[in-house]
Parts: sequence; structure tokens; C-alpha cells
Amino acid sequence: MIMRPGQQLLLQANPFFIWATLFAALFANMLFNMLLWGRSAWVPDILSVVLVFWTVNQTLRVGVTAAFIFGLFMDVYQGGLLGQHAMAYTVLSFLAIMIHRRLLWFSLSSQALQVLPLFAVVHVVEIVLTLLLGGSWPSWVVIFAPLFEAMLWPVLSVVLLAPQRRAPDPDENRPL
Amino acid sequence: MALAPLGREPPPLFRQGPSALSKLIFYSALALFLMVADVRFQMMQPLRTVLATVIYPFQWLAMRPVLLVQEVDSWAISLGETEQDREILRTKLTLQSQRALQVDQLTLENRRLRDLLELKGRPGVAGIAAQAIYDAADPYSRKIILDKGSLQGLALGAPVIDDLGVLGQITRLYPLTSEVTLITDHDHATPVLNARTGARGVAYGENSIHADAIELRFMAANADVAVGDLLTTSGVDGVYPPGLPVARVEKVERSTTDVFARIYCMPLALVAGAGHVLVLAPLSPAIEPRPASEPLAVVSKPRGRR
Repeated sequence: MIMRPGQQLLLQANPFFIWATLFAALFANMLFNMLLWGRSAWVPDILSVVLVFWTVNQTLRVGVTAAFIFGLFMDVYQGGLLGQHAMAYTVLSFLAIMIHRRLLWFSLSSQALQVLPLFAVVHVVEIVLTLLLGGSWPSWVVIFAPLFEAMLWPVLSVVLLAPQRRAPDPDENRPL
Repeated sequence: MALAPLGREPPPLFRQGPSALSKLIFYSALALFLMVADVRFQMMQPLRTVLATVIYPFQWLAMRPVLLVQEVDSWAISLGETEQDREILRTKLTLQSQRALQVDQLTLENRRLRDLLELKGRPGVAGIAAQAIYDAADPYSRKIILDKGSLQGLALGAPVIDDLGVLGQITRLYPLTSEVTLITDHDHATPVLNARTGARGVAYGENSIHADAIELRFMAANADVAVGDLLTTSGVDGVYPPGLPVARVEKVERSTTDVFARIYCMPLALVAGAGHVLVLAPLSPAIEPRPASEPLAVVSKPRGRR
């Protein structure tokens, strides 16, 4: 396998950690909704960022199926149309698989620029589906949601990759 | 400890499973099927219940900080505010007590008069108190989630009110939570009665003029509706008991080009910040079923379907 210049050798990803972070993202979405911002349309969807991250980094473990199931969870939680988020996340994860081989060759900031259209597609799919099935137009502030999600990408990339960056043989000088 | 290159195992050479494109097509078709089944045939409730039960622990956990903040908030109000509240409540109570004293007598009188006229008595309603935990995150609709569900005795279609007026009705029921569609929802229609003129009408949720308003539709352009009119439930729908306050008319636009007037109303209940609510028992069982329609005496020319 070709390695990027300056790439660090990483530890194996812990499957438990992957699924825990996905559920934690679902939980974060709930907290945003319940505690902070109610049903505002501009609130970033953390779950879609984490889904794209793991689809790009662990394509064999997290793929379209996982995205579909988490989409169903979001639908039931939001009380919207069943299948709306499932559809949007399916498309999202397919697009993430399409770009997963080249995305990691770029710096974090240009990665964020490249995932921005993906998050925009999620919101477009949701709005189109709602309008088709007779829903109402949310509000124009919805255009901020993909921007915030793209801004979260570098932060979450560092945080979610941190456990794999630990030393393979921890000692007193490198406890972590 | 084995180091995998790039932190992932090498991809298998042969057994790679279906391609991403075929998965995309399969799951998109499945999602479309779910949406159609959900909207057109309402057959996805069992699946919803299962999924809602799976995520309930997370919801429960997310509710803790919310309840904590509410608790702290209610503890941390100052003495002055409490005094003020007490004054307001006392004034309100005095105003209401006179009416409350009359209610018993009026109910009795009303029943006797109804007996006299051999009218059916109005169905009495019982209520269950509940708490709104959060607004449903869907920005396309106006719904709230209550902390009680079918296990606590709530029923589908039950009207929900707060101390100021009608909030909405229960449209989805889970074992431990339930979903209330507010009267400001795009798809929700409330049969109302203008308390001043007695004219009946239907009020729809309307979010285009400002966030939480309702619109009284299909009123003729010259209908007698004035700013400040109180709209109450009319009770003809079999969902809401009659006489509950719904909204106050805020703006009436009459134009010569439209057949109907555009009438915007402000809901009286706290639809944007609902806290403690009362869930009434659904009226539908207490109402007699519609009589079967009799065939018309005049035989009209059979008309083909378009």
C-alpha cells in the first residue's frame, strides 16, 4: 500500500470505540436539541460528521448499512418521516466511499472543503424529500448547518483518531 | 501487538461483498419504501416503537441535564420574583374564584335545561398531567415530546392543553414517551368557533408570517372577524372538547382579488415553550358514530370518475 509522505503508522481501530462514538454522536445531537437549540435548522448534525469520518477511515467496518440504520434512529428520534434521514445518510455514506481513497491525502483544512458538498447534499436530500411529501420549508438558516459540519471536521478528525495515535509500547516516558 | 499498516486491516482479495453502488440503490429503495409506507399506509408504527425503545436509554440520559437545569432554574429565582408571582397568582385566583363558584351552579342549571330540552349531556373529560421534555428536532414540523406514554395511560388522539389554551393533540404514542402535534403545525387543523359571533371555522398552522401562528382559512372576504376576537374550540371534530380557548385574531387582510380573507391568529397556549401540560381523555369514544348515509331519493345521472 502506498503511504502518504509523513504519514504516521496507526494502531488498529477498536471496533467498540467506533460504535461508541457513533452512539455518542447520536446522543450529542439529542443534547443539542433538548438542552440548547430546540428545533433550529442551523444546528450541525454531529452524527453525519462522525459517520463520514468512520466511512472514510474504516470503510470495511462502517459503510452504507450502518449509515442507513443510524438514519432510522434519527428519524424516530426526531419524529419526522421514517426513512428521510436514512435516505440522506445512505447517499452521504456512498459519496464518502467514493472519495475515501483520495480524501486522506489532503491537509485537514482542504479535507473540510471537500466534505462540505457531502454535508450539503444531506440537507438538500432532506429538504427535497420533505417538500415532495408535503412538508414545510424550514428556514434559510439551514445553509449554515453544512458549514458548521465542515468546520467540525478537522476537530473531530483529531479527536477520533487520537486513540489510534497512542504508542504501541507504552512505558514511563510515554504513558499514553 | 500487531501493527496494521494505516490503522486498518488489509482489504480482503475476494469476498468483498456487494459494491457500494448496489448498496446505495438497495438502501435508497428501502428508504423510499419506508417513507411511502409511513405516509400513505401508516404501517410503520411497530418498527418505530422498536427503534424508539432502542434509543430510549440515550433519550433518558439526555433528559437528565435538561431536568437538572429546570430544577436549578426553579430553585434559583429570587425572593422578589416569588413575591411578585404570588401577587399575580392571588389576583388571578380572586378573579377566578367568583367564576369557579358559579360553575357548579351553572353546570347543574345547564344539565337541567338540557334534560328539559332532551339534549345529550356534554361528555365530561378527565385529564393526566404530563411534562413536555423537548421540541422534536425536525425543523419542518411543530411537535413536542411528552414524558409519558401508553404505559401511563395516554391514548392516541388525546387533546393536550396547558393553563392558557389548547396546545395540540397526541399523534404518536410510544411506550414511555408520546409525540404531540401542535396547533401551529403545518398539517394540523383545529375546528374553532369565534366566541364573539359564533361563526365556525377551521384554523391551520401557519409558519410563514412568523414562527408560531395559525391561520383561520376559508372565511369569506366580508366575514365578520375583527382583530382581538377570541377563537375557542367548537367541539364538532370529536377531538377537542368545546369551549377551550385556542387563539386570538391578530391581523385580518381583506383584498378584492381574493375570495377569502387572510386571518392570522396568535395561539393563546405557550406553544413555543410548553412545560407542564394536561392530557385530556380523547372524546371520540364518547361520541356516537356517524349515521350511515341514506341513498338520495333523486336519482342523478351517473358520473364517471375523472
